[in-house]
Amino acid sequence: MAESTKDKIKYRILKTLDVSGFTAFDPVIRLIFGEEPQKQFAAIVKYLVIPAFFVLSCIWFWSWIGPRHKTKSGEVPTPDIVWESVQINDTIAEREKVKRSDFQLKGAEREAALEQVAREYEILSEEVKAAKALVAEKEAEKKAREEKLIAPLEAKYESLKSEYRDAAKARDAEIARISEEVSEGKLEASALIAAIRNDGIATDRERSELNSYKSRIDEIRSQKYKPLDQARKQYDSVADKQFFMKTRLEFLDDRNLYVKLDEAQSELNEYMAELSTAGSAKDALKIAKRAVRAEESVARLEGQEYASAVTIYHQTKRSIFTVFVGFFMAAFVAIPVGIMCGLNKIFMACMTPIISVFKPVSPVVWLLIFQIVVGAFFPDPENHALLNFLNNLPLISSLEINPALIFSACTVAMCAVWPALVNTALGVASIDQDHVNVARVLRLGFWSRLFKIVIPSALPLVFAGLRISLGVGWMVLIAAEALSSSDGLGKFVWDEYQNGSSLTFANIIMVCFVVGIIGFFLDRMMIILQRFVSFDGGGTSV
Amino acid sequence: MINLKKWITTASVSLALSSLHGEQLDLEKDELKFGFIKLTDCAPIVIAKEKGFFEDEGLQVEVIAQPNWKQLLDNVINGELDGAHMLSGQPIAATIGFGTKAHIVTAYTLDLNGNGITVSNAIWEQMQENDPALDTDTPAHPIKADALAPIVEEMLEEGEKLQMGMVFPVSTHNYELRYWLAAAGIHPGFYTSEDKKGFTNAQVELSVTPPPQMPATLESGNISGYCVGEPWNQQAVAKGIGVPVTTNYDIWKNNPEKVFGVNAKWAKENPNTHIAVVKALIRAGKWLDETDEDGILVNREEAVRILSQPNYVGADFDVIKNSMTGYFYFQKTDKREMPDFNVFFKYHSTYPWYSDGVWFLTQMRRWGQITEPKPAEWYDEVAKEVYLPEVYLEAAKHLLEEGYISEEDIPWDTDGYKPATDEFIDGVLYDPKDPIGYLNSHKIGNKD
Amino acid sequence: MAYLELNNVSIGFGPPSNRTEVLKDINLSVEENEFVAVIGFSGSGKSTLMSLLAGLQKPDKGQVRLHGSVVENPGPRLGIMFQNYSLLPWLTVFGNIELAVRQVFPKFNKAQVKEHVERYVEMVSLTPALEKNPHELSGGMRQRVSLARTLAMQPEVLLLDEPLSALDALTRAVLQDEIIRIWEEDKRTVVMITNDVDEATLMADRIVPLTIGPEATLAEPFPVTMERPRDRANLNKNPEFMKLKNSVTRFMVGMNKESKDLKVDTSVKMPNIIPHDFTPPSRTSVKVK
Repeated sequence: MAESTKDKIKYRILKTLDVSGFTAFDPVIRLIFGEEPQKQFAAIVKYLVIPAFFVLSCIWFWSWIGPRHKTKSGEVPTPDIVWESVQINDTIAEREKVKRSDFQLKGAEREAALEQVAREYEILSEEVKAAKALVAEKEAEKKAREEKLIAPLEAKYESLKSEYRDAAKARDAEIARISEEVSEGKLEASALIAAIRNDGIATDRERSELNSYKSRIDEIRSQKYKPLDQARKQYDSVADKQFFMKTRLEFLDDRNLYVKLDEAQSELNEYMAELSTAGSAKDALKIAKRAVRAEESVARLEGQEYASAVTIYHQTKRSIFTVFVGFFMAAFVAIPVGIMCGLNKIFMACMTPIISVFKPVSPVVWLLIFQIVVGAFFPDPENHALLNFLNNLPLISSLEINPALIFSACTVAMCAVWPALVNTALGVASIDQDHVNVARVLRLGFWSRLFKIVIPSALPLVFAGLRISLGVGWMVLIAAEALSSSDGLGKFVWDEYQNGSSLTFANIIMVCFVVGIIGFFLDRMMIILQRFVSFDGGGTSV
Repeated sequence: MINLKKWITTASVSLALSSLHGEQLDLEKDELKFGFIKLTDCAPIVIAKEKGFFEDEGLQVEVIAQPNWKQLLDNVINGELDGAHMLSGQPIAATIGFGTKAHIVTAYTLDLNGNGITVSNAIWEQMQENDPALDTDTPAHPIKADALAPIVEEMLEEGEKLQMGMVFPVSTHNYELRYWLAAAGIHPGFYTSEDKKGFTNAQVELSVTPPPQMPATLESGNISGYCVGEPWNQQAVAKGIGVPVTTNYDIWKNNPEKVFGVNAKWAKENPNTHIAVVKALIRAGKWLDETDEDGILVNREEAVRILSQPNYVGADFDVIKNSMTGYFYFQKTDKREMPDFNVFFKYHSTYPWYSDGVWFLTQMRRWGQITEPKPAEWYDEVAKEVYLPEVYLEAAKHLLEEGYISEEDIPWDTDGYKPATDEFIDGVLYDPKDPIGYLNSHKIGNKD
Repeated sequence: MAYLELNNVSIGFGPPSNRTEVLKDINLSVEENEFVAVIGFSGSGKSTLMSLLAGLQKPDKGQVRLHGSVVENPGPRLGIMFQNYSLLPWLTVFGNIELAVRQVFPKFNKAQVKEHVERYVEMVSLTPALEKNPHELSGGMRQRVSLARTLAMQPEVLLLDEPLSALDALTRAVLQDEIIRIWEEDKRTVVMITNDVDEATLMADRIVPLTIGPEATLAEPFPVTMERPRDRANLNKNPEFMKLKNSVTRFMVGMNKESKDLKVDTSVKMPNIIPHDFTPPSRTSVKVK
């Protein structure tokens, strides 16, 4: 009995793995349940250990090749630098959270926090000073080292330069002399040509000689001095922290919501008190007007929220949201149209030219078109009823839905609609004749034939199409966001590219992984759905 | 003021809390979106947000990076943005209808100077050969384009044209680069009613590249030089791909650079909000140019810290720091003090001068963006249509009352025209009241 | 008048220029509650015949009549059981039958539907597999589901299109018995198509051979007069069975031979061409005498 429940659990886990496509972990589960250990070990080595080793060696290769491939924008970041940039992005997000909570702290809590932060700020200020001094010291060191190396080269360079200048002058004089003699007929013209040619050769040689010195000097100058880099890094991180503390101080004090509210309230109270003792009607009117305004500003403050900077988490959320909006738009169009295409040959013939022409169009073109077309629907985006409605919905209010999101989603939909449409049409058109006969024998009406026979039978292909659509949509979205600067991962990566900071490259690679991993999960999700609707038993049998 | 007491007892940090909060204006709109391009001269907008100056006016502001100047302008026109960091030429060009037509106005000049012209290493070496005086680590400034002229001619003989980059057809950079080239007798090309690219008669072709892509475009060899704002010149030095040869400070001392532009319709509908925004911007400008007794800019390092955040300019702290704290690297070995490289408040720079508008109009006419000759009065009329000193003065008046600025910070009684100046790289006199005369005093360019 | 009738039915495929007549001048009348087996070689148009009977296809000529009225469309009155089960794979056994029941008996309430379905599942001895999906069942079980579905429609005529040809011999025997049992319990008219002489002899009241296509038609029927219930175990000892089986088989085999002989005639006839004589005339042949 115990055995059978254990088996049941085992098969449930195995089934889950199978449906979600993680069959590689099968042997691990089987091993845990003590099933044929030897066989499982062999399978683990074959399907887990070797692939893991391969991935690790890829990472190792990456970290080996990275520093060896120099670009003008710096070295190719190694995995640890990319990981560092992940952490930096996380820190940025974390700090935004802290600032938000600071902004909303009140009463004794706020004061305690203020005191704490002020103390930390003091300490950090000292550290910053020390770090700054260290940087200066290292800079001097680097300079001294460089000078020592460069001085002889430079001296040589200068002496060569003057030497060559003299030589050039001498050659010029020689050429002048020869040309004179040629003009007087004492020498052949070819002598002059030869002299000029030789001069050119000599000049080139000298120039390349000088350049080689110059580039050697440049080389030395551009060499990195590790201690200085470290000191700079250290200084940057401390100064960054100090700056963060300074901002926190502001948010805990005069930019704090409740501090501002108190102030506005006390101002209001003051006016109210003044109003009761106002001397003349004119004064009273003036004060009353002020009081009303103060009241308004209290009301406004009450509704104020912390304006958070955009973090990578927010961008990721927004991208996922956008891709689903686009995907559902695509599905909403593709499935009915695909069904009609599959059912009716004439309709299919009508659609074929449209599908064939628009399917290969680049997302960039669609984006530009939608940007113009969709923009026309939102002449005043801030007061648009639909946008206001969407932005007041509970879960998605933080995503700030704007026309940019909508036309990015439209672009996604436009590119994602084709695979779903074509597959749906195919699924419907290739319905088994026997199933059609069943429907005929049962005299099913159009709708029940559609919903009981046609759609269920086309469903596996429909989902296969939707899966491709979602994949296409996700790829398109990143490009669309980058181009339209609609918030999302695409914009994040584009902004990073534009920033051109030392972390740019690492951040771009980080986004590469983020996009890849999310894409992977989206695909997995679709596989699972596809398996649930597939009736050939492929997915549900263990 | 209980708050102030608490402050004194709890923290010893020098953060000023003003007890002089004036009454807030009766705002028509309190949630605003401003756009900017990733350049250090967007600083006043960013600082006004990050230091809470907008909040003090009761404004909730979102500051959003824009991919390029065209889209930024489009977003201001279509209402996606309430206002933006703009090239001085943009409101003017939009108002007169060169490019996208829309009435854009400005009541605030964000900064002076701040651009540089960078050439690729190869061009720099050839320039050094042409003019041996340049062949040192610290050549004498200003560097004129004279050493570039032989290179251009040589290329023309081979049937090629030197390619250079600027950021927008109506940007200061375009006019400065043209000015610099023309001052050395190199023809940068005319715009005509058919030729919207400005290649007619060109000896050097100037094409549009968004600022952040400049270094990459230079590196890939598509252009041999560019004129752009910071940090993209310093970036070229840091990456070792080019050499900044001159700054626009040398081309025209204290020239106007960016403005804060809004849609005229928006300005009409939200007059008080507009004043509140300008108030916050004036405070930000003043904060940025704050100096101690020794004349050292005290807040710039903090500003750089803020600007280097990835959601603002995002370049490395060290790169932005150079120009923002008053230094400029012309080469790795040539670091010079340039305290006025970025001016955000000094010299009454934030006032929306009509004379600035007139200069840009003369340049548009000089290079053919304005195709027809115009009378002198027209220049004055257009400038008055675009620049709104009344809004600026109203905001300044409030700030003066509230004690944020002092009397001498603002040119209260000006007619909006700066005095004539000849502080240009070629020494030609610019009298804003005589635009036609100014046009005719140049060798290269349209004359009326 | 016969219960189910085929009058001079012909059907063919293809464009007029290249038309293949599959069935030609078919005449058959089936009496009420009669069990008729149509036997033929594969490719002789058996399934087409079944489609015609079920109303799934319309004849080019002639009519199919049920109770004297022409069959225009398929429907539950003519319950057809397909060769390859035709179960809907996304529905369970119950779901497959329920779909039919709900359609045929729209007035049934939920409980009645359930009861009805379960009765027929029970009838084919599949109650344990009620909630299984078709792909979890063996071929024999699927065919039973198909049978149950067809029976559950309570058709007036049961049309069995090679119901057992895809099954192994043992399963086949079991199902044959089952079908006969059910038919005997609940008599109705059955037309079964098969290619198995034993099966036909065992089950049918009458065996009608279908000649080899194209232009197949029905040959003279063989009545099966053996008494029911027929005992499978002792059939081989039954002389009547052996005799009938032999004569049917002989007829079928003979027909096959005949068709093979015929096939030679269908081969392309070469035109009678005599090659020209290109050899130059020899001198000897032009001797002038």
